[in-house]
Amino acid sequence: MTTTGAPALVRLGIVSFAHHHNYGFAAGALTLPGVEIGTVWDEDPAIGTAAADQFGTTFEPDLDNLLARDDIDAVIIGSENVHHARHAIAAANEGKHVLCEKPLATTVADAQAMVDACERNGVKLQTAFPVRFTPSTVALRKAVRDGVIGTPLAVAARNPGTCPHQWFVDPALSGGGAVMDHTVHVVDVLRWIFDAEFTEVYAEISTRIHDIPVDDTGLLMMKMSNGLPVSLDTSWSRPGNWPTWGGVTIDVIGEEGVLSLDAFADVLEVAETRNETFTWRPTDSVGDSEMVRGFVDAIRNDTSAEPSGLDGLRTVQVTLAAYESARIQAPVAIAY
Amino acid sequence: MTTQATHQPAPPAELAARPVRFAIVGAGGMGATHAIGIKDDPNVEIAWTVDLDLPRAEQLAHKTGAKATSSMEDALADPAVDAVVIALPTSLHRNATEAAARAGKHVFCEKPIARNAEDGLAMVAACEQAGVTLMIGHVVRFFPEYQRIKEILDSGELGQIATVRALRTNPPVQERSPWFADVEKNGGVVLDLMVHDLDTLCWLLGDVERLFAQGLTYTEAQPRRDYAMASLRFRDGAIAHVESSWAHSTHRTSIEIAGQYGLIDFSSDNAASLTIERTVALSDKLDRPARVYSRPAVVSPQQRELRHFIDCLQSGEPVMIDGHAGVRAITLANSVLDSMRTGRPVFFNEDGSVAA
Repeated sequence: MTTTGAPALVRLGIVSFAHHHNYGFAAGALTLPGVEIGTVWDEDPAIGTAAADQFGTTFEPDLDNLLARDDIDAVIIGSENVHHARHAIAAANEGKHVLCEKPLATTVADAQAMVDACERNGVKLQTAFPVRFTPSTVALRKAVRDGVIGTPLAVAARNPGTCPHQWFVDPALSGGGAVMDHTVHVVDVLRWIFDAEFTEVYAEISTRIHDIPVDDTGLLMMKMSNGLPVSLDTSWSRPGNWPTWGGVTIDVIGEEGVLSLDAFADVLEVAETRNETFTWRPTDSVGDSEMVRGFVDAIRNDTSAEPSGLDGLRTVQVTLAAYESARIQAPVAIAY
Repeated sequence: MTTQATHQPAPPAELAARPVRFAIVGAGGMGATHAIGIKDDPNVEIAWTVDLDLPRAEQLAHKTGAKATSSMEDALADPAVDAVVIALPTSLHRNATEAAARAGKHVFCEKPIARNAEDGLAMVAACEQAGVTLMIGHVVRFFPEYQRIKEILDSGELGQIATVRALRTNPPVQERSPWFADVEKNGGVVLDLMVHDLDTLCWLLGDVERLFAQGLTYTEAQPRRDYAMASLRFRDGAIAHVESSWAHSTHRTSIEIAGQYGLIDFSSDNAASLTIERTVALSDKLDRPARVYSRPAVVSPQQRELRHFIDCLQSGEPVMIDGHAGVRAITLANSVLDSMRTGRPVFFNEDGSVAA
């Protein structure tokens, strides 16, 4: 732990921009003192070179070289879902700390192997859940815990979005559609707010909106170990011309009232005539930088990185149980 | 017991030529709303107000120019009465409807049709046998936003429907009307509020194939609070989330429908087209917020649903919400309660009955 004013330097390598979130995470990292992006890798040299220019660093065409470099302390992985495990385990074996895009993996075995590899190599594994770091979500957690609405009784949540297309709709790369993409954020946030696990899920999952080979419509009815019933809509139901990407809302119904989170409601409405656009632009977006700050602080101070790999693993278990429930048309118990 | 009408209802042509004469059975909140809503209609005469609490019947009679009685038999025995409005607690709907049908009176019955499908089907049979019209007061279909949504869905503008969210909240009801909270008798928030959206969604999307629900109805939170969430899967494949609450601070409704080609979103919060904001309290006795939202575009849907009932009596056309629609809604609502209690999904046959 540093004792002077300047924090110890943490040098990041960015592994893949397949997931657009990694642009936000890289930009967030650069706002932090004592954080450098040492190099970036992407399977596509054109994307990698452009990203290197954007973030003022170099493009490394060989991932093994990146992972072997002594001047890289940690990686942020944003590859396609099915590649997370391979990339994270390789990084861990080279002694790099890992911040990995969600979902952590597309199978429980992969997620467990990532957790094990990082533990074995003594490196941090953090799952990229930026919603936890949005100020409104932090405030929701505090309000629930302060008893603002008395005893919490039930939760109705939604994480709808526009369809991301590209590799997200290729099951061989994404492992699933809207339910794979959007279950984990809210599940993570609720586990964190209530210190409780999800024990059961019933789900309706379908492809109703887009002509794609993965699901775009999902509704999960879940139970938590503290007895709370929870519903979650994960659908890619926002039309392409919706003014923003989607959103996260969580209503907590309590004995003495209701708390309603609309995590990304703090926006400017902007109508622009030259491109005929109407968009909602966030007044601030500190979630990404705060999440990366948590990661580098955990590295510097050798504390646990949160949301952890185990947090990521738990959310994957809930997601896969939802798919199983939809298949058998019955509730599925989740065993840990 | 056969239900042979003791009195034949007047044919539409006769009803079209003179005011339709009503008995209001139940002079509580809804009975009064209906009576006052139609009393100035030149096509309507309110002949009787009925309530076991005679002073309450008299009070409403005084406002509507009717005669008051504590016995429904008085009103049903009056050959001048054409139709009854039944605004009684749910558990009394069946007996009152059967008695009205036997007396040859058309029936407008508040929702839900009955406590269970069996009672509802008996009401349908009694009215069919007696040749009288039965309409159920699923008033949500008469709110302008839902009618407009129905037009848009029917036009095909949104293509295949993917997912629907319907929300309906009220403050805790137990303090206001304790009889409501008796789940055995009245079904709690599911039979009070969710039944509205269950009817409306079937009207918009067709029949339900299966459902799953969870909530507070069978927990210790009852009777202080009630809250329910249901997942519906329609026969055509659409998925819906229906949320009903007696745990919020205000009345609020919303509905969002996402389809292949777009999305419709309505929230009563956003639709408040007139807001009154006062800096000085209207009265120190009133514990009310200083901001009051209103929707002047909503002209008494209760009045419009009764107007539709009267139009049908006068034209002989079928009513928009018949007893079968009422039975469908109560079957779904009771299945929501069953699913909450058992933790299992409920599946339905093509005819709408619960699959074994």
